[in-house]
Amino acid sequence: MAHFLEIDRITKVFGTTSAGAAAINVIDGISMNIDEGEVVVFLGPSGCGKSTLMRMVGGLETPTTGRIVLEGREVKGPDRQKGMVFQSYSSFPWLKVLDNVRFGLRFRTDIDAAEKDRIARHYLRMVGLGDFEDYWVNRISGGMRQRVAIARTFAAGPDILLMDEPFGALDAQNREFLQLQLRDLCLKERKTVIFVTHDVEEAVFLADRIFVFSARPAKILEEIAIRDLLPAERDIKLRESETFFNLRNRILGLTRTQALRSEQMEVSQ
Amino acid sequence: MLLGTASFVAVIALWWAVAALHLLPPQYLPSPAAVVSKFYVLLVKYNFIGDIGISIFRVWSAFLLSAAMAIPLGILMSSFPIVNGLSQSMIDFIRYLPVPALVPLTIIWLGIGESSKIALLWMGTFFQLVLLVADDARRVPREYIEIGLTTGAKPRQILRSIVLPAMLPSMVDNLRITLGWCWTYLIIAEIVAADSGIGYVIMSARRYVKTDEVMAGILAIGIIGLATDQAIRWLHRRWFVYLT
Repeated sequence: MAHFLEIDRITKVFGTTSAGAAAINVIDGISMNIDEGEVVVFLGPSGCGKSTLMRMVGGLETPTTGRIVLEGREVKGPDRQKGMVFQSYSSFPWLKVLDNVRFGLRFRTDIDAAEKDRIARHYLRMVGLGDFEDYWVNRISGGMRQRVAIARTFAAGPDILLMDEPFGALDAQNREFLQLQLRDLCLKERKTVIFVTHDVEEAVFLADRIFVFSARPAKILEEIAIRDLLPAERDIKLRESETFFNLRNRILGLTRTQALRSEQMEVSQ
Repeated sequence: MLLGTASFVAVIALWWAVAALHLLPPQYLPSPAAVVSKFYVLLVKYNFIGDIGISIFRVWSAFLLSAAMAIPLGILMSSFPIVNGLSQSMIDFIRYLPVPALVPLTIIWLGIGESSKIALLWMGTFFQLVLLVADDARRVPREYIEIGLTTGAKPRQILRSIVLPAMLPSMVDNLRITLGWCWTYLIIAEIVAADSGIGYVIMSARRYVKTDEVMAGILAIGIIGLATDQAIRWLHRRWFVYLT
């Protein structure tokens, strides 16, 4: 049966082109299937290739071998169906908050300006920034900026949302709040999401399923069906529950050895 | 701003003191008052305004020509490695040529009319500016472009709605600096071969050791430079409010 997103025996090798640099094996034959409406987290040490794989789903990188099929069509390049949220430079400083959100709809010709306004305002309210439409993004906090980026990406109405450590630069309190808000938003909108992080608690809190990546070259160490272990609706209290605590510790054990391997690789290069 | 004014006042006070105490003969250093009154006489009696006008015209023609060519080429260089490869070494070669060395060539090719002066200023600025613009365009964060790609923007739309606004603040700064160079090269051009312009006034005053007139000419360039610079900075603050 065809899945919403099929990642089929993907490999990626960097540096095989002209420059003559030593080839680096980044991704070593990863396959997975993702269903519509799932929140999937790629968890792994930094530099392991999890972002690269997600960028391939977005059409921003091409696999060396293998293919990615989204809704029955092979991914060939970036487009509006695959929305992106980045960790930094996630919104445009020369546009005000509302215009940043509206940017997600800017190049659509099938709806008029009034409709674009309505949609943009709707999502701005959903991320709790309804009162900040007229602010320059440099004047609001880092956490609010990430909410602007999330609102823009939802407003664009993509089939899949790709998030590359979007909360990586935020402080702990802000991060927890945004995780909660994002989880809510994903449930409400039934969006398919791939979320990349190296933060285990973040992964457990957000995910329906976690794929734990090994150090480079990336393989899937383990797939953990969080949705079978935690309720769909999650709140702050969940973090204090025993199930959450045990899950977190088990996964930490898994990732710790990989992080160490990843570190050593950095040093030896 | 206050500090800037203070340093100005200090330099003028020192100049005035040295001149008032007759430490140097007036042929060496005329007093500030003499320079200012000469400036006034030049303006009302000798059509100095005309010379200033022609100099400003030369500077701005060359500057606009440089900018109009360097901005598109710089952006092309940043986005297409082939354009970069074709033009980089050529630009680097010309960029290192001292502008005064090109004066004889421009005179042979274009005579001593306006076009040779504009060509000289153009050569002095275009090749520098094109690299600065290419750099500005290259420094646009990859994420901005990818936001465009994933919201369905076509290359032209990415250029207009993302690359240009993102690079504009630093480009305006670079244009401001380039405009300053134009003035340097203009004086070279006017000193060598001209029968009008601020540089020409300075040069012919030197021949008769009219030091106050030389300094009045320099004063004129300084005032114009300061005024344009401040005007562009002011525009920069107005256009790019979001940066503050």
